Amino acid sequence: MSLPFRYPPFSIPTEFDALRREVREFLNEAAKNWSGWDLGHSWMAFNREFSREVGRRGWIGITWPKQYGGHERTALERYVVVEEMLAIGAPVGAHWVGDRQSGPLLLRIGSEAQKQRFLPGIAAGELAFCIGLSEPGAGSDLASIRSRAERVAGGWQLNGRKVWTTYAQHSDFMIGLFRSHGSPPLDVNKGTDKHKGLSQFLIDLKTPGIEVRPIRDLTGEAHFNEITFDDVFVPDDLLLGQEGEGWAQANAELAFERSGPDRYLSSFPLLAPTIDAVRADERSDLPATNDRLTARRIGEAVADIVTLREMSLSILGRLADGETPAQEAALTKDLGTTFEQRLPEMVREIREQLPVRDDSQALSAMHVFLTETTPTFSLRGGTREIMRGIIARGLGLR
Amino acid sequence: MNAINTEMEVGELLAEQLARLFSERVTHQALTRVEQGAFDQVLWGDIEQLGVVGALTPELAGGAGLNWTQCAAIFQTLGEHAAPIPLAEAMLATWALGRAGIEADTTRLTVSSAIFEIDTNGKLHGADSLLPWAAHAQSVVAIAKAGDDYRLCLFLIADAEINSLQTIARLPSSQLIARGVTPQINVPAPNIFGPLGLQPALATARATALAGTLARMLELTIEYANTRSQFGKTIGRFQAIQHLIAEFAELTAAAQVAAAFACRQFDRGVDASERGAAVAKIRAGQSATRAAMIAHQVFGAIGFTDEHILHFYSRRLWQWRSEAGSEHWWAEWLGQQTLAAGGDALWSGITG
Repeated sequence: MSLPFRYPPFSIPTEFDALRREVREFLNEAAKNWSGWDLGHSWMAFNREFSREVGRRGWIGITWPKQYGGHERTALERYVVVEEMLAIGAPVGAHWVGDRQSGPLLLRIGSEAQKQRFLPGIAAGELAFCIGLSEPGAGSDLASIRSRAERVAGGWQLNGRKVWTTYAQHSDFMIGLFRSHGSPPLDVNKGTDKHKGLSQFLIDLKTPGIEVRPIRDLTGEAHFNEITFDDVFVPDDLLLGQEGEGWAQANAELAFERSGPDRYLSSFPLLAPTIDAVRADERSDLPATNDRLTARRIGEAVADIVTLREMSLSILGRLADGETPAQEAALTKDLGTTFEQRLPEMVREIREQLPVRDDSQALSAMHVFLTETTPTFSLRGGTREIMRGIIARGLGLR
Repeated sequence: MNAINTEMEVGELLAEQLARLFSERVTHQALTRVEQGAFDQVLWGDIEQLGVVGALTPELAGGAGLNWTQCAAIFQTLGEHAAPIPLAEAMLATWALGRAGIEADTTRLTVSSAIFEIDTNGKLHGADSLLPWAAHAQSVVAIAKAGDDYRLCLFLIADAEINSLQTIARLPSSQLIARGVTPQINVPAPNIFGPLGLQPALATARATALAGTLARMLELTIEYANTRSQFGKTIGRFQAIQHLIAEFAELTAAAQVAAAFACRQFDRGVDASERGAAVAKIRAGQSATRAAMIAHQVFGAIGFTDEHILHFYSRRLWQWRSEAGSEHWWAEWLGQQTLAAGGDALWSGITG
């Protein structure tokens, strides 16, 4: 017997060091305008102005063909740009979904007209996308969605509700998953295949009949939305890919979504200011921290981040070779989100970090936002329990 | 890329030969004999025949001249089989000597991760509180400090005081005290060694073996969960058990990746190797602690018996996580380095 996961080593070639330096310099300058609260948001911060600047510099749609506004560079260069952005906590939310998911999906299965219409806008940082998957009755059990698309003259009519859609209130388009034929079985044991009959649509969020309601969350802000579709017309040419193949189309993206730097760097921006704060504490007259414990916790965090980055790079190398390492992606995501959740607690463990948002101190505001956001890390992109189910099946537990 | 693959294969080929040998010889009975104090002379003879002792040793010193990346599979195999022989120790000893241009005339060698001292008369002093396999080795290879310089030394165990220790792994280990020993070999330490001496090398070998042990225990655990039946179904069908074992797989994967990373760092110089050893020993040590608990939880009472083989693996996890610096010792070391460098150097230190 052998184990169903492997992580061949992969390193980013030194020829991309210049790109890394360029991105880092740009971000160090831009970061002077960002508060600790902003930095804590990272890919949860929607900032169109910043996305336009990133687009202008050619760092969105890096790998896409030039004819669609892309830059025909490698996936490794994209990785360099993305990890630099996330390591510092840059507000990439306005182009995040388009660059990571919607653009690549359009490139793979979109029609020529769709590619020409949408990709240049995404690459310019002008066109923001969101993803409509979850519904009130379909979360982890995504395939049981009930929102429907019905055939009408010249297109489709959408009815139903989507929920937990990040930044729908600011976005221009949604790629939404709807049931275009069949129905979800009331009893999963009855044998009907709920994965069939789903289709993806490109939906202009300004279409009449769409109501977007932001949902205020635990942080006091509204990141998610509930979107109601009431006889919303979508023309034929905005069906994405094949009718009825939406489930497979939506799933093919998940290995990308689950192994990227966004799955272990969410709270990483905390670590550098924490290190500097510990150094400052030690120089001050504050009661001495337990030096040995502090060093140990920081050493553990560095070991985790180095290991997670190695895992993520290995998956990057295999994806670049055309493989789909789904097991490795699930393993890495669960380890990564566990690390992300531990980091804000580590800060509390090694110094007196009060539960106070002091906007004059970057670490304070960042720590408050990230502490409040930690529950989402093991929910978004497939919950911890879903990941462990995928891993267990891969291991052959039956 | 092809050249690298071919090189990797040499190490993997040796590891496969070792694995075949171990599958045949490393039985419950053989493990028990060694844990009772016997040395498996026959197995050691076969290992000498394979030429694996000199795998890491430069060709000029009579070795195979493989690098650490290539030898990772060998260290991992030692862990996968809980092999009761001092192969890692002998490999590291002949490697260290070989890098100083010296060909060892015996394989009965062990390495110390302690730093000794050489006085102005050339006598060696110091202690190692946990020296593996001293009871069956003729000599120890260690790094010693002489003034501001580091020296690579070899001295006879018979010239030092050794007190045998009862360890969790029950493999022969001793406390060694050297009081004015005249080293047989005393040469400038090759530039692959820094102020931590041989500790990063032994830590990396142990972390890699831990990753191997974890992989084997994970396989055994999956097999057991798919066989053992309770409440009318195999326990592997219970979601609570599935999630425990999924976590085990995560811990194993992380240890494997961290160990492979450390081995690669050894081929990049002293600073990289120290940092790599820290990452690997921290990650593998943490994984070992939690994974041992999961394995025993899934196996239930049968896994706690002497008759079952599980304990040979779990006791090695508990032994090796502490040898050559525990995960806590290395975390402190890495944390101090990180704190000294400051927040600005954090990310650039990770991306290299």
